[in-house]
Amino acid sequence: MRNKLIIGIICFLVALGFILAINAQTAPKVPAKVIIGDVACLSGTYAKAGEQAFGGIKAIVKWVNEVHGGVKIGGKKVPLGHKYYDSESKKEVVTSLVERLITVDKVNCVLAPYSSGLTLAGAPIAEKYGMLYMDHGGASDRIFQQGYKYIVQTIGPGSRYHVGTLDMIHKIDPTAKRIALAYEDDEFARMVMMGAEKHAEKLGFKIVFKRTYPKKVTDLTPLLSDLKAAKPDIVLGGGHYEDGQLFGRQMGDLDINVKSLSLVASATLPAYYPALGTLAEGVMGPSHWEYGVTYSPEAAKKIGLEWIGPTQDEFVKLFKAALGKDIIPDYHAAEAGAAVLAYVLGIEKANSIEPAKVRAALDKLKFMSFYGAWDIDETGLQIGHSMIDMQWQGGKRVIIWPPEAATGKLYYPMPTIAEKAKGKLAVPK
Amino acid sequence: MIWEQLAGNLTQGLILGGVYGMATMGLSLIFGVLRVVNVGHGPFIMVGAFITLWIFTTLKLSPVIAIPVAFIMGMALGFIFFYSAMRRLIKAPELATLLATFSIGVLLEETAKLIFGSDFQGYNWVVGKIILPVTVLPMSKLYALIGSVVIAIFLYVWFNKTRAGTAVRSVVEDSEGARVCGINVGWVYAFSFAIGIGLTVASGVLLTMFIPVGINPYMGGGYTLKAFVIAVLGGLTSPYGAFFGGLIFGLIENGSYTLFALMPGVEPFALTRFLSFFILLLILLIKPTGLLGGK
Repeated sequence: MRNKLIIGIICFLVALGFILAINAQTAPKVPAKVIIGDVACLSGTYAKAGEQAFGGIKAIVKWVNEVHGGVKIGGKKVPLGHKYYDSESKKEVVTSLVERLITVDKVNCVLAPYSSGLTLAGAPIAEKYGMLYMDHGGASDRIFQQGYKYIVQTIGPGSRYHVGTLDMIHKIDPTAKRIALAYEDDEFARMVMMGAEKHAEKLGFKIVFKRTYPKKVTDLTPLLSDLKAAKPDIVLGGGHYEDGQLFGRQMGDLDINVKSLSLVASATLPAYYPALGTLAEGVMGPSHWEYGVTYSPEAAKKIGLEWIGPTQDEFVKLFKAALGKDIIPDYHAAEAGAAVLAYVLGIEKANSIEPAKVRAALDKLKFMSFYGAWDIDETGLQIGHSMIDMQWQGGKRVIIWPPEAATGKLYYPMPTIAEKAKGKLAVPK
Repeated sequence: MIWEQLAGNLTQGLILGGVYGMATMGLSLIFGVLRVVNVGHGPFIMVGAFITLWIFTTLKLSPVIAIPVAFIMGMALGFIFFYSAMRRLIKAPELATLLATFSIGVLLEETAKLIFGSDFQGYNWVVGKIILPVTVLPMSKLYALIGSVVIAIFLYVWFNKTRAGTAVRSVVEDSEGARVCGINVGWVYAFSFAIGIGLTVASGVLLTMFIPVGINPYMGGGYTLKAFVIAVLGGLTSPYGAFFGGLIFGLIENGSYTLFALMPGVEPFALTRFLSFFILLLILLIKPTGLLGGK
């Protein structure tokens, strides 16, 4: 009897140990904190966009911790941490910081820096360590043609930036056929204009001028003189901020009148109008997000998408508090914040912080936030988010395309340079 | 048609070249007198640009007023940096002065960022245009050129016709000889450094009159590179040589663009840069003191 009891106890203990061992293998590892590493651009060339992105990230981290209650893993809510370094907007600094965040700080994912070039610079390092690399400011399609497995995009792909612009003009004015493309010789702008050229040809537009200019260009007069001679109806140009302001200004200096001018990146920034005054009237720009868009939990429900994150106004409030400045966030802030939301949802769907499992969960994830819809293809390229087009009208940014997101009508053709000099505003009657 | 475009671009290039030249005079003066290569040259241009922005947008005054203001503020900065850092480094190895001027540049950039933020700012000074048969010239650009020419003439007269200018030239020729003759060489160094910085900061005003947008703390980098090419072109130690170097550079840059654009499958801007640095290399090989420089 005694022997039977001992054998019974031993069997029970063995069985218990076995069950515990199996549980230990299958139960998710719950960390004390989930840490996102951030290669921020707080100084250097991209300091402006970098500051916006930084504010957006901080705002959403705060929302996740204080409103969402943390990141849900294995039935527990875990706080979200934010470890960041300033990359000085330099490629060589980006590569070393990505490595440092992974190997020294042991973060759970890395948020890529702003711009396609810098995102591309850090991608191979993240890939080497099998680390999830959340791209919020690198729009070039080429990033996703390298075969990287761990990179996931939130910003829309560069090739689609001008699709809406061209569709809109094609619909409004079928007689406007002559297009000029003049853009910064850089990864992002090249991809944007390649996409624009392809779509323009599909719609029957004629490319009458196509030139690039180098980064940090200080005078565009020779290029714009040649552009003027090509007599385009529509000009698609730009690249980043400095050159976009120069572009608009020197088109004015040379009296280049076109029906429509759309500049990537710079025209959408609030600083564009104070820098150019009435010369900015009627200038358009493609954007990923603008204050005033109408994405909401109700809109998400209508199209059957899960909603996560703050509303637009809550985000603006969090953003202002995060930066300690009374400024309205632009799309750089929104897309960076949305990248954090995607990562948090990815962890919660995967019920794990393992990069491979989160990446697999992100593959299947579709959701909507204040930033709009989010969905990726198998390469990690963003395919769910729609671009919008804005135009400067009476000193204000007005969303003019697509119709479902528009807050106003397009002013077309834009006022001439002489009319603008006399103070004419591009406000539709 | 092509000749029209070439003439138009050369006209624009001549005006821009004048402003580039002005932006290089300070660099040449400092190198000529102190033998210090100011690699922090661009950030001083940025200071001038922000002074203009402040005068135009806050005080609502013409950018022309900003020229003397920037020059005086630039001289003050020059004296501060000379007596706090450069004075101790004049006889130090070249690397020390390179690092010191680089550090001063970074200091200025980050201070500007702290004060003005990282936005790309600009101002809109509308003073009319001249419509030429080959191009359109905004009056603001013409004023920038006139400002550059006037300052270059003043510098020439000061350098060659005044006692102070003669003292500076004697220090350039032989600093020990000048000291023996009773010239306060230390003061000449300080004064030349301050004038060099004053000219550079004032050139920031003229550059924004030409291009009144894209004003931000890091805008100086591109101009530093161009200033070095122009300084070599015009003669490293000759400030007014640098002015002519600027004119030549502007003409080459804009003129070659039109010609390179005729070559099929070529991006002209890339080739104009290639040409600029090819010419720089050629001059360094053939006449290391620069086209218009002496010994």
